[in-house]
This record gives sequence, structure tokens and C-alpha cells, in this order.
Amino acid sequence: MNNRYTRRQSLKMLTAGLAVTLLPAMPRLAASKELLQKPFSADKTLPVIGLGTWQTFNVGTDPKLLAARTEVVSAFFEIGGGLIDSSPMYGSSPDTVGHALQQLGIPDTLFSAEKVWSPAGGSAHEQVANLLGRWKLEQFDLVQVHNLTDWREHLAALREMKQEGLIRYIGITTSHGRRHQEFEQILASEDIDFAQLTYNITHREVENRLLPLAREKGIAVIANRPYDGGRLIKGLKRRNESLPEWAEEECGCSTWADFLLKFIVSHPAITCAIPATTQVAHLRENMHAGMGTMPTASTRQKMVNFIESL
Amino acid sequence: MIFGSSYSLQDFVPFTADIYFRLLERMGETYWPLHLITIVLGMVALWLVLKQRLRLACLLIAPVWLFVAVAFFMRLYAELNWAGGYIAFAFLLQSALLLFLALTGIGLDDRSAKSHASIVGTFIALAGLIGLPVIGLLSDGSGLRAEVFGIHADPTSMTTLGLAIMISRGWLLWCISLIPALWLLYSGLTLWALGAPSAKLLLVVLFIALTGLFWKQLELSMLKHESHDQN
Repeated sequence: MNNRYTRRQSLKMLTAGLAVTLLPAMPRLAASKELLQKPFSADKTLPVIGLGTWQTFNVGTDPKLLAARTEVVSAFFEIGGGLIDSSPMYGSSPDTVGHALQQLGIPDTLFSAEKVWSPAGGSAHEQVANLLGRWKLEQFDLVQVHNLTDWREHLAALREMKQEGLIRYIGITTSHGRRHQEFEQILASEDIDFAQLTYNITHREVENRLLPLAREKGIAVIANRPYDGGRLIKGLKRRNESLPEWAEEECGCSTWADFLLKFIVSHPAITCAIPATTQVAHLRENMHAGMGTMPTASTRQKMVNFIESL
Repeated sequence: MIFGSSYSLQDFVPFTADIYFRLLERMGETYWPLHLITIVLGMVALWLVLKQRLRLACLLIAPVWLFVAVAFFMRLYAELNWAGGYIAFAFLLQSALLLFLALTGIGLDDRSAKSHASIVGTFIALAGLIGLPVIGLLSDGSGLRAEVFGIHADPTSMTTLGLAIMISRGWLLWCISLIPALWLLYSGLTLWALGAPSAKLLLVVLFIALTGLFWKQLELSMLKHESHDQN
């Protein structure tokens, strides 16, 4: 899979990565219809909006829903998406992603992110081999230890696989603000490439210690539950809340998806957010948030104040 | 701030509402017109109970639970939820229990027609046999999402729970009601998490059924006391 990136694509990513690196810590990026990319290692970048699969891609063998999710994945790549995140805990989601990739072919931009956990049974090696079969891939870009389950054993096994070239990057995950102390210890002491955690405008605890530490250690951060499991954006829409007048001018927000996602991906330590959706229209809204002007530090504070005032 | 939360019920349901309702729709698509036979089967079972032919009624319902266990839980639901296999096992167990009652007659209440709790049982059985399919038909014009006794788990559990109140006594009253009641609770909570209005209906029916079960238990205890007094 190392060879999947074309020269043109690599140059594009490198340029984008350099652009982001050279910008100030809290860049107010020039308005653009290109999906913003952020660097995550010396010479790699990722589009700031990825695709989560929890609940939404667990469709079993239903041909109608498999076709619908393939359309979502197709639109994701069409707009320039990269990271797709799944887990053996997400039911048939890995199979659904595999089905879509089989139908669409494997795009150069794909950054496949999976997880291993313990109750699923079998070793990390067996789990990765099984998941590769379900995704119909030969190699994963990233494999993470799901919710820190048996993380010592799993990280050791993942490191071996990385050395053998079976996977490219390794990481750990948590969600819902669980086990942050242990998470911090692992970030501080272990050699990992990615950390996935819950971060959104109403759950910002990670700003205090985890995000600064990850940034200091050069660990890429994936933000899960960007809409707090959908409750955040549904709540705003249900209450018929309007965007503040300054949102469009200051950070190009025309939808709540823009507002909520731009807040997340504009944090300097966050590499990408992974909203999940079942609909192409929502996918397009999500991806739009990764384009154009991003909020500055002061605008981010205004965003927080606005949400807290509701 | 209006947005709090960390965990909610929704975080324990591994699929979205559209996926779950599509699952129910697939059962409708795959097995139509078996629905017509299973509804008739349910109606006949209720009629047999009202006519005190309890063992025959159990014999008619037992294969229905076997069918839902295999066709719905093992074949479809287990693809989405690891708990599906365990729920299928529970449905198979219920089928075996009904078959046991049909073959032995143990725990069947031959005075069921005289029981006041039977009125509650009949109401719940009819809610499962007619109420749920009609609501499904009204909410979805095509009728594909209409949940039907013998095809889908909710009406099957509801109808069986109603019949259980009518036909059984003693510890078997609770034994035969346990799995249908637990499924209604699980399904009601799932639908609640998915934001489906039918969740309230299921939970209300479950509450009425539990009231009926306790009422039946009370009636049986009173009858026992009366017979002791006469002795």
C-alpha cells in the first residue's frame, strides 16, 4: 500500500503539508475549496475530515444499504477524503467498508484505520489478518488499540507488525472521556503514531493535558464523536438554533456541521475528525467543513461562548 | 449549557434507526405472504385458548418462536449485534418451553377462561396480532414495515405474553412469560434509543402485561385460599 500514492498525489500532499506546517500555530487559512490537509509525520498529511463507521456502516448483508453506503464512500473520496476508521466492535462495518472498496477500487487517498481489542478473541495478529480480509486490503495504514483493552500486549504485537511492514502506523483510542489518566501515561511513555479520543465543542477536557502532550510528542490525534454521537447537531437543529452572525464572516460557517467540525479541526493538535453518516448529503456537509477559512484562537473562544450560552 | 451527556442509551445500540427498520422491512420482503398464515395461526391460537384447548394452542405457537429465532435473529439480527446469537438461543428456549407445555400440559390453567386477568391477556394478544400490524400499515403505506406475529419478534412476543397470562399458572406462568417480557423490554429500549415512537407503545404494553401477570398470580393465590377454606 506504500505504493498506492502517485507522484502527483504525494507532491500535492507534501505541498499541502508544508503549507500547514509553515502557517502559524492557529492558522486562519486562506479560503479554499480544497480539503485542508494536516501533517501527521515528517512527510505525510491527512485530510482533516475523515469518515467514522460506528453504527452507520453496520448494515449486514442488505444489498440496498450496502449500495447506499458505497455511495457515501464514493462521495467521500470524490471530495478528497482519506481516513476511514472502523473497528471489529462495530458489527459488520468493516465488511461494509470492504464491500465499498471492492466496488469502487482502492483510491490513492485511502488511509485505512482499524482497531484491535480483546473480547473479540484471538491475538492482535489474527485480528488484523481477519480485518484485512474484511476490508479486502493487503495492509492497514493504521491499527489502534480499541479503548486501551490489554494495551501492553496489543501495542507490543502491533509494534512487531509495524516492523514487519504489515501495518504502517500504530495508535491507541478512547472515547467518552474514559481512562484519560492512563491514556496520558501511554502518550508520555510509549512510542505511538496516533491517538484517538473524544473531542468536540462540548467535551473539551482533552485540551488541558492530552492534546498539548500529543502535540509535544508529535503524535497525530483523531477526534471521535465530533457531534457527541449525533446529539449535538440534532439538538441544535431540533431547537431551530441559528448560527451566530459572525460565524460566516470569521470562519466561513454556513451550516452547523461547519461550525462544529471547524472548531475541532482548527485545534492545532488535532489531525482530523471522523464524523459518521448514512447520507451523502450529510457527508458533503461534513466535508465542506474541512474547506475554506478556519477559526482563529479568538474565534474558537467565541464559538465556545456561543454554544455555552444556549 | 444545553448539551451535557457522556454515555446514553443510544451508545449501546450498534446501528442506526434506518438500518434497524430496514431489517424489519427485509423480513417483510423475504417471507411475504407467510404473514397471512402466521396471523391466522395466531388468531386460531387465541380462539383455542378461549375454548380451553390450551395444549393445542401451545403447539401452534411453538414453531413460530423457532422460526423467528432462526429467520430473524440468527440470519439477520446477529449480523448487526453480537447479542443476536444469544437472543436467538432465548427464542429457541421459548419454543422448547411451549412445546413442553403442549406435550405435557404441566402448568396449564384449565380455569383460565374464568380469570379476570384473561381480559388483560386477550387485550395484549390482540394488540400483538392486530394492533402492531395496523400501526405499521398506517405509518408506512407499502406495509413492508408492518410487524406481524410469527414473522417479527415484537408482535410474536406481545401475543405470546398475552396468551401466557391466560393459559398458565404457578411458576410456569412466570417461566413462560419471562423471555417475551424481556424481549419487549430490550426492544422497547432499543427503539427508545433510536428515537422511534413505537418504543412507548411497547413499554406501555409491557407494563400492562406485568400488571396482568401479577393480577393473575393474585387471582390464583385467592383461588388457592378459597379451596383450602372449603377443605
